[in-house]
Amino acid sequence: MLKDILQNIISKKKVIPFPEGFSVTADQAAKIVDFQGRIDKIFGRSLRIRQVDAGSCNACEWECTALTNPIYDIQRFGIDFVASPRHADVLLVTGPVSRQMELALKRTYIATPEPRLVVACGDCAKDGGIYKGSYAVTNGVANVVPVDCYIPGCPPTPTAILLGLSQLIDRCTR
Amino acid sequence: MKESVFRKAVSTREHRNEVYIEVRKEDFKDVCAQLHARQHARLRLMFATDERQKDGHFRVYVVFSAPGEDRFYFIVLPLAEQESSFPSITSVIPAAHWYEREISDMFGLVPHGHPDQRRLVFHESFPVRSHPLRKDWKIDESDIREWGEGTAVKVPHPFMEVEGEGIVEIPVGPVHAGIIEPGHFRFSAVGETIFFLEPRLFYTHKGTEKHFETLGFVEGIKLAERVSGTSSFSHGAAYCMAVEMMTGTEITEKASAVRTLLLELERLYNHIGDIGNMCAGTALAVGYMKGAVIKERLMHLNERLTGSRYLRGVNVVGGVTRDVFAHADDILKTLDIVTGEYKDLMQLLLGSVSHIERLQNTGRLSKDIASKLGVTGVAARASGLSDDIRKSHPHLLYDRLIFESHTHERGDVFARMMIRGEETECSISMIQALIESGYKGNLSVPVGAASAYSSALGYAETPRGSLFYWVMADREGKPLRVKLRSPSYCNWPAVPFAVHGNIVPDFPLCNKSFNLSYSGTDM
Repeated sequence: MLKDILQNIISKKKVIPFPEGFSVTADQAAKIVDFQGRIDKIFGRSLRIRQVDAGSCNACEWECTALTNPIYDIQRFGIDFVASPRHADVLLVTGPVSRQMELALKRTYIATPEPRLVVACGDCAKDGGIYKGSYAVTNGVANVVPVDCYIPGCPPTPTAILLGLSQLIDRCTR
Repeated sequence: MKESVFRKAVSTREHRNEVYIEVRKEDFKDVCAQLHARQHARLRLMFATDERQKDGHFRVYVVFSAPGEDRFYFIVLPLAEQESSFPSITSVIPAAHWYEREISDMFGLVPHGHPDQRRLVFHESFPVRSHPLRKDWKIDESDIREWGEGTAVKVPHPFMEVEGEGIVEIPVGPVHAGIIEPGHFRFSAVGETIFFLEPRLFYTHKGTEKHFETLGFVEGIKLAERVSGTSSFSHGAAYCMAVEMMTGTEITEKASAVRTLLLELERLYNHIGDIGNMCAGTALAVGYMKGAVIKERLMHLNERLTGSRYLRGVNVVGGVTRDVFAHADDILKTLDIVTGEYKDLMQLLLGSVSHIERLQNTGRLSKDIASKLGVTGVAARASGLSDDIRKSHPHLLYDRLIFESHTHERGDVFARMMIRGEETECSISMIQALIESGYKGNLSVPVGAASAYSSALGYAETPRGSLFYWVMADREGKPLRVKLRSPSYCNWPAVPFAVHGNIVPDFPLCNKSFNLSYSGTDM
């Protein structure tokens, strides 16, 4: 920890003091700070996410919920989860997309105003994960709606989700 | 005992604490009704199997357990291939209502005399006369595409309609406002008061039981851990127990101790998180955030102990992969902090009149309805039913631990919160007690092969209630059938009864007080 701080001072990186328990390396933290600047620029300081459960086991949902707790406190980056897809910039989709959720996901996608970004969160959302090949799933979000970014992990930790979002913003600025 | 039941048996077989009693079709309903009414036996689960490769029969299994006895009674009804129905027992045992509809969807065996003949699992666009758990089932590409598109109505699903002056119908979901799982709710409200609620679930149906059959018993643990995220460890433990019982594998004392400890740790982080989440239902932001912080602290402990915030990857068939007792100091230290923070939280909550007033008398579930519907876990105990599988069927190290199974009589949201609170304290002391002694043995033992057509039951008490896995091997020792019954499956039908008469804005609060898993129900 002390070593990280020292390194930061030497390399003159701007790092947010993360609370205890937020396990990120100095480089990752710098990335998040950097990404906050970009959100400020592109999205007018606010990135709104609509989370859609398309057949996940609820672990990914609880990790998204954890992002809003005082430890991760995602709101301080200007990011928040919203109640309606009509208010959202990003659709964060979890789960392998079960057949019975396919229509609902498509409708949610259509209801999101353009320009919209889709993040497939978790191993299931990538290619079906452990559920790959089951008759009742579509083996990944990309088979239903176009995907801009994948966040791996089963479930991805809150830090991983945050870093995944930072990469998505990175891509937008290029 | 139970002579009258055994007298009607065609054949009986015992395996550990399981008694299989095969009966004739004409006796089936009577035997079940007798067990239920006279012996006060509780319906634990009900399922069908396709054993046509063995002897050309389908079989329907109804599993009961009687109070004060560590035994499970399986009433088995064989059905020849050409038979397409079995007598429904819903009229005498209402708790069977969902199981029977599920059997009808999955096997095409119609429960004769069931009051609700609609589909349960599959929605309107799933093909007619298509039953995935039949061994010879196939589905073609165009059908599966239409199912996904969801626009073709092949079997209509009419919702119950409430008519009358001032009745308003409010449809909600499947995509909700918060970060929660998908389900559709149809409220019929008079002004603000909920008169009737009909939930439509199974949006997250992933064909889990069928998928188990393709994975093999050893690989299956990965799937079991991903049935319901917040009870990952319980699902893993119950699944492993079932497979170990079937193959005759005795796990070591050490492995049992690790499983017991982690089961309690899982209960702990869920209960504290749930107590906090209930504050979100009453807009008490301080309580909600305090709960979230304690939960996060425990999630970090989980990660340090097992490498996974959801305790995944520890259970394997035959034992465990990690010795969490090596981190005993870390566990005790974290628990000390958590205990202090938890006491602060409870003091805050119980001292907030506005919060407590919202919880009291809200979402009442009567003991009568809870027992008729076979409600389990926290919801059952809050309604005065003592239902705790750790007490009634001691497994792992639960027979050595001293703990109370708390019950409350009121059945409201407040009672469900208090049950969680009491169990939180209980779990903390159980973990401390477990750490005090040393345990012998390796972490895991080699697993024997399953003999042809052997079967066994595994169970665990999840934070939500009792969980069952029943496994059966085929001729080659591969999975013929894996049946899982999550606690949420039993508790969902009780939610409409609990919210009846409450106002619509209190629905999220009632829902949070049950905190049911959609994914565990939908399978």
